[in-house]
Amino acid sequence: MNKWHKIKKTDLQKYVSRLAEKWEVWIPRLVDGKWEFGIYDGARDLDLPESIIDVSLKNLFFPKRRAIATFDENSKWSLQPVSPERRPRIILGLHPCDAAGIEYMDKVFLQSEYKDVMYKNERERTILVGMLCNKMGDDCHCTDRGLTPDSTSSMDVAFVNEGEWYFFRSLTDKGKRIMESKYLKETDEGPTKNEWPAGKYSIASPEEFMEMYDDSIWHELSDICLTCGICTYACPTCVCFLVADEKFKGKGERVTVWDSCQLQSYSRMAGGQNTRKTPASRVRNRTLDKFAYSHLRYGRISCTGCGRCIMVCPLKRSFPQLGARLSERIREKEKERTKVPAESKEE
Amino acid sequence: MTTIELVPKPATIKRMIDESRDVKSYVLEMNESLTMPALPGQFVEVSVQGYGEATFAVTRKSKGDREFTISVKRIGHLTKMLHRAATGDIVGVRGPYGNSFPVDDWKGKDILVIGGGIGLAPLRPVIDHILLNRKDYGSMEIIFGARTPDDILYKEDLKMWESDKSILLHKTIDVPFEGWNGRVGVVPAVIRDLGVKPDRRVSIVCGPPIMIKFTAAALRELRWPDDRIFTTLEMKMQCGIGQCGRCNIGEKFICKDGPVFSLDQIPEHAL
Repeated sequence: MNKWHKIKKTDLQKYVSRLAEKWEVWIPRLVDGKWEFGIYDGARDLDLPESIIDVSLKNLFFPKRRAIATFDENSKWSLQPVSPERRPRIILGLHPCDAAGIEYMDKVFLQSEYKDVMYKNERERTILVGMLCNKMGDDCHCTDRGLTPDSTSSMDVAFVNEGEWYFFRSLTDKGKRIMESKYLKETDEGPTKNEWPAGKYSIASPEEFMEMYDDSIWHELSDICLTCGICTYACPTCVCFLVADEKFKGKGERVTVWDSCQLQSYSRMAGGQNTRKTPASRVRNRTLDKFAYSHLRYGRISCTGCGRCIMVCPLKRSFPQLGARLSERIREKEKERTKVPAESKEE
Repeated sequence: MTTIELVPKPATIKRMIDESRDVKSYVLEMNESLTMPALPGQFVEVSVQGYGEATFAVTRKSKGDREFTISVKRIGHLTKMLHRAATGDIVGVRGPYGNSFPVDDWKGKDILVIGGGIGLAPLRPVIDHILLNRKDYGSMEIIFGARTPDDILYKEDLKMWESDKSILLHKTIDVPFEGWNGRVGVVPAVIRDLGVKPDRRVSIVCGPPIMIKFTAAALRELRWPDDRIFTTLEMKMQCGIGQCGRCNIGEKFICKDGPVFSLDQIPEHAL
């Protein structure tokens, strides 16, 4: 294990400014009352949120609109792949659930027969400098999803906010590259360990969810969902996309754009046939995908417990609540099944 | 330079065949000495620049792996553009994707091919493969149904198969039609009429979803076990590589885990 290095809080901005001379540095910034990542330009005092950042990192690795090729509209065929962005960058201040989201995207785009080279490039040019959380936000429930606010998985460097100091530790060779700094002092001290409470949305196992496909509960659950799809855009692991051509003033681009399984158009085929026409069928697909199909496909469920879907939901009732309600129903059914019939009790 | 899998490669339309009133076939040749080594049952994504792309089964291969055929029913945005294309035009192609019919496992077996309309397209490479390796397989029976005589495609092939002594061919149309003296009735009804037995056979079925569903029911009535009924679920696919998400049936992706499945591999609601 690499040693902890500590840096005075008042020196962090100087350290980041030095990093920004060599790297493109992305940090959380408050924009119109919401935290989102932006490029550090030194114009504002560095301020790092202790818990959830409103907008996920998904867009930095898999942009909502991504040109994959360009063409000249006036030709019959001139489609050429785009060249990848190569500038090295640092993303500083992400949290454990953000790193878990990236870990899941890696499974979809890299641990697959066909690697997405554009995504791979975004990963390779990035050093992930994660900040462990000091508290859990109102909608946070990572502790219900096999994570904790101090998980360091998938980070290159992890740092902890403690008193007047930040404690930094590199976790990968890539991470070591930013540890050489006069502001960072090696130390035998370390941050204190925290105990974390369970969240509010514990759920049943993937196998139990799989048994619920034909249950009537999907109609109940879809009654409290607008199927507007906003949760899928906010979700750090929802990476469904559409491939389309866009044209403007003679220039064309082939793009991938985020799509959402909650929208009716998602499953509509040429000729109008649609296998998921009803809200219930779409809510079922997403719930089971989050909590069961993802596990069967990639060995882990795709909910990181970040709670962003609740934060953006117009009804403030999103998939963690649906998952919890469904799990409650699973337990009810289990009770009914295992209940000893009254007659046999008499004997 | 590493290639972006989602960006297609150019291919030239060498020949176009009018198959029926709304189906055209396109013989495509890969440009720049590229190849398209598709196995029976595999599919490709075909692009018209400026209009996007769509999924098509490879319905025949020729000239090694350089040339292949797709059949296109005019039904949506992209297929309308393809129908407007001319010989010599360039389209984009990527693939081949998906699994394939396990034709090697079927050696020594009798084969029953059941196609409904454009559903015959992904099955034709299996028929081609068996005819090319005739002694490796037992008998071959083909049931082909179309809505009307005008919807019958692959007329040249049907003629050839009809005159081939090693093939038993049944053509049917859904409802009576003036001038049609052949069999009338939907495919599941024909299956029941013929009483096709499983014996040493495997069956491969493709057609509109409703046809697959009722054909499966008819075969099950005739005691066909699910692991000997194969189908190809050519639906909802977009990226072809198991990433865009939309073609899932439960945890499986049609494009990656399929499109070929035996009925025991998919849940009932997939039909």
